[in-house]
Amino acid sequence: MAKRESPEINAGSMADIAFLLLIFFLVTTTMDKDTAYLRTIPKKVETNQPQTPVQQKNIYKIVINSKQVIQARDSIIRPEEITSLNSKIKHFYLVNRNKKENRNIDYPYYAYGSIQLYQDNLDQQTQRLDALLSQEVIDGTTEKMIDQANDAVQKWGEKLDEMKLYAKFSGKKELPEIAFEAHIRLESFIDTDYSAYIAVQSEIQKAVTELRDQEAEELFGMTYTAMNNFYQQKKTEDTPEVRTYRKYMDLIETLFPLKLIEVKPKR
Amino acid sequence: MSKFRKNDETPAPAINTSSLPDIVFMLLFFFMVATTTKEIDPMVKVNSAQGSGVTDLTPFKQRGEIDFVYLGEPMKGDASKFEKGIAIQFDGIISPDGINYLGTWKTNKFDNKPAEVTAPKENIITCFKADEKVPMGIIFSARDILQELNFNSIAYSAQEMGNNAEYNIREQ
Repeated sequence: MAKRESPEINAGSMADIAFLLLIFFLVTTTMDKDTAYLRTIPKKVETNQPQTPVQQKNIYKIVINSKQVIQARDSIIRPEEITSLNSKIKHFYLVNRNKKENRNIDYPYYAYGSIQLYQDNLDQQTQRLDALLSQEVIDGTTEKMIDQANDAVQKWGEKLDEMKLYAKFSGKKELPEIAFEAHIRLESFIDTDYSAYIAVQSEIQKAVTELRDQEAEELFGMTYTAMNNFYQQKKTEDTPEVRTYRKYMDLIETLFPLKLIEVKPKR
Repeated sequence: MSKFRKNDETPAPAINTSSLPDIVFMLLFFFMVATTTKEIDPMVKVNSAQGSGVTDLTPFKQRGEIDFVYLGEPMKGDASKFEKGIAIQFDGIISPDGINYLGTWKTNKFDNKPAEVTAPKENIITCFKADEKVPMGIIFSARDILQELNFNSIAYSAQEMGNNAEYNIREQ
């Protein structure tokens, strides 16, 4: 028996339907991506104790006034020369790096950690914690001290892990760490333009990212930016790859921390 | 035998349009992939600031971890009604209180989300989408409000600039 031929479906209106969908998407979507600089606001501190002043060499101060004139330390930067901030910030980070003598006294010093040092600190803090926990009476002050010791144990443990990772990939025995207090201090005026502020933020971000990328490329053969992009996409998934990248990024961030203090304008 | 046939002998053959849907679908898919959905209709004029090394916010947006605050001149109405001529848009509304409404808005938004989709407070980013000419004073007042409420992650919106582009800084 011969098969009955099914009639052909008329596909002439398919194009119309597709056009309708296309136009719908054109109208409801935008082309530009949302991009931004991520920053954090420091937590509230409730103490009235005066803070110990930070040494001048550890501060890189950038001021933008209400006329968009930028001053970085002692030099005035004209708007067309703003890209010179990049090399200035890199200089701030690198000038005393890997130097133990003949250091430039106007720039932050480096500390050099080793496995031995971190291990000693960790052991010391663990002993302190044990001693505190074995006390018979635990009152308010002891509890606070236990918390502190816990934090310290955790911190030195992390440091030790980072040091081991650094030693493994670089073959060096010492991890150069910039002074804890070293930071970039960004001051603005009430009437400073958003665009000028962003331009300075951009230069800071670029300088630090370039330093990190270079370091990551040398250590892991992959840039920090690439790792970070991957991590931000997948950070909710708990895969070994994500965890490895997080560890690598932590190490790079310890080597080149971005400490930026944004000061509230007073005038 | 004549060189030219008469017009009315055979009609011109119809153009085959069977591949037209394929072409249109291809275009459609391109736009679906290359664009993102608009969240809201802007009520203030925002000329983005330029910068390099910016972070892409798409993964944060997909997880719903980001709140946008728009700052700029109002598109409709009198700019002089607002402090320094800058209107501030929260989602669909422009608040007459200006930046002081930020606290209420953030808390409401945080409390009204169902518990299972709410990210922890420290993961929620407040993104300032500000016009180039917005004075920093407003943004720092906003920072103070957010600090009070412990919303400590913020973002300054900027567009990635091309390789040879220059920063757009207003000289005075």
